[in-house]
Amino acid sequence: MIRIGVMSFAHPHAEGYVENVRAIPEAELVGAADDDRTRGEHHAARLGLRLWPTYEDLFAQQLDGVIVCSENARHRPHVEIAARAGAHILCEKPLATALTDARAMIEACAHAEVHLMTAFPMRFNAPLLEAKRALDDGRLGGLSCCVTTNQGQNPSRHRHWFVDKELAGGGAVMDHTVHLVDVLRWCLRSEVVEVYAQTTDLLPGGNAEVETGGLILLTFADGVFATIDCSWSRPASFPTWGGLTMEFVGGRGVLFVDAFRQNLMIYPERSPGVTMRNWGSDANQAMIAEFVTAIRERRNPAVTGLDGYRALEVVVAAYESARAGQPVRLGHQSVRDAL
Amino acid sequence: MRVAIIGTGFMGGVHAEAWSHTPARLIAFVGKPGAQGEALAGKYGARFVTDLDAVLADVDVVDICTPTDMHAEFTLRAAAAGRHVICEKPLALTVAECQKMIRACRAAGVRLLVAQVLRFFPEYKLARMLVARGEIGPPAVLRLSRATFRPRKADNWFVDANRSGGMILDLMVHDFDYARWVAGDVVRVFAKAARTSAAPDGIDHALAILTHRSGALSHVEGSWAFPPPVFRTHLEIAGASGLIEFDGPATTAVEVHLRDEEGAAGSEVPLPTSPLLESPFAAQLRAFHDALVQGSEPPVSAEDGLAAVQIARAAIESAQRGVPVEIAPLHQPQ
Repeated sequence: MIRIGVMSFAHPHAEGYVENVRAIPEAELVGAADDDRTRGEHHAARLGLRLWPTYEDLFAQQLDGVIVCSENARHRPHVEIAARAGAHILCEKPLATALTDARAMIEACAHAEVHLMTAFPMRFNAPLLEAKRALDDGRLGGLSCCVTTNQGQNPSRHRHWFVDKELAGGGAVMDHTVHLVDVLRWCLRSEVVEVYAQTTDLLPGGNAEVETGGLILLTFADGVFATIDCSWSRPASFPTWGGLTMEFVGGRGVLFVDAFRQNLMIYPERSPGVTMRNWGSDANQAMIAEFVTAIRERRNPAVTGLDGYRALEVVVAAYESARAGQPVRLGHQSVRDAL
Repeated sequence: MRVAIIGTGFMGGVHAEAWSHTPARLIAFVGKPGAQGEALAGKYGARFVTDLDAVLADVDVVDICTPTDMHAEFTLRAAAAGRHVICEKPLALTVAECQKMIRACRAAGVRLLVAQVLRFFPEYKLARMLVARGEIGPPAVLRLSRATFRPRKADNWFVDANRSGGMILDLMVHDFDYARWVAGDVVRVFAKAARTSAAPDGIDHALAILTHRSGALSHVEGSWAFPPPVFRTHLEIAGASGLIEFDGPATTAVEVHLRDEEGAAGSEVPLPTSPLLESPFAAQLRAFHDALVQGSEPPVSAEDGLAAVQIARAAIESAQRGVPVEIAPLHQPQ
């Protein structure tokens, strides 16, 4: 059995991951720990999960792997604890809020010889996988550009720290950009060389510190350019949390993919009104399965800490561009050496 | 009100049909010698001439439906003769030309009405009205997309950037005007453009990020890179207290699937349509007719047309130079 633990319930994804681990026959969910005792007890009770008083107690349970679901800025200390304990790590995205932290995490895991996987579930989304197959088969011809969106409701309705500059590292740009940067790098097999971004705080739920909307235009080394809309532009009444779409424009045509269009529409007699229920395949389940399988097979997971680092590089550059009103060039440091 | 349409191509025909739903009288078509002009004249009971001067004395307004590079010349000639001008979008190829046209019409005491027809599309008009009424709060992030196929006329001036300004000016000008109508003046544009096909006539897909003075942002996509007969439009306005979304394909009211239909069917120049009791083109010319007859302000001014061209030119420059282009407020033409 692969023994898995959960560090922190700060990120709401932790709840889903618990069920995902439980659904894997060769995995055993050992329990969790949380530096916020009240939060830990609340979620552990709700999920029927054993809660250890400290992370040290959790790691005393001979864990093979741990899923880090703390606030973005706390990923580094938690990953470092886990690496010291010799556990493989799946870290919620974004990998960190600063590149120095992300680099230190990659180095700590390399030194401890444990996996560092970044939680990019879109790599396991079935519509995106089919789209990537079409791209890989060359059905569109040479690509010119991409139009992508990852819009959502303001996540502070679930957890307030998403709009806390210190803990989240930023607002909508920090929260949503990394998914699409990662999928674009994965699909295009090229790295981002230039970032232009404009942000806005006109959408609700932000504060003086964090933006609630943003538009980003990336240029890749192979000349392909792509826009990302990372805005928290879905109101409370929106029938689902948000979505993720991509349009690829090539020499032979255009491919559009909506990662979350496989929905039922539910119209209740009473308020709150229309909701959508997705019936597509569960990408999170596939991501957790990959984490567990990579541990069992003693191989690197399909998504790494370097992927998390590359996505964060773009986010950091986006904030710099938004401040300056100018595109920012990325000079790739050889973080790969650290692995 | 007596009207002469200049230009007997695709848009000349669209306007003629639209005029037929107004009280105006279509007196003449002005165009190059050929069967197309004769046919239009015959259909609408008007004269066909090859020289504007032959009919200027007989009309109150000229409706310019020529390729864009001829807009300025015909506007100046009509204004000099004291005739009102209706001009297809984009108002002209350059900001300087637009200013010259506005100055000339002002000096001559005639109206210059620019056919930014998107303002008369009911879905766009309704969305803007809801925003103006404050139903979703101040607009914050707009997404506007207009994706279709490359025009495929015999005399394909659309794809000649010297005549049409290219895709960014000819197609994206609709959404540049709309973005400004909804979210106010634009102060910065960053754009990238691609040539996706082997066709030798330039840019056919472009993306632009507009920064409005209010702090709102607009994402504008324009494309001639789709195969016929696709014409997809998408509109999304996220505001401080709500969201408005229009997804063209999702509003297709009538679907017909014929087994023997060719995949590449459709017109030679793309035009978005939805079943309506009054077409946006007819609504537009009715509004222009009323503005001219009653002396009222039309829903879109020549200055709006100029501002849209200015944004498009900034997008073209940004895409060429790889840098954001700041848009300075234009001084009112004297």
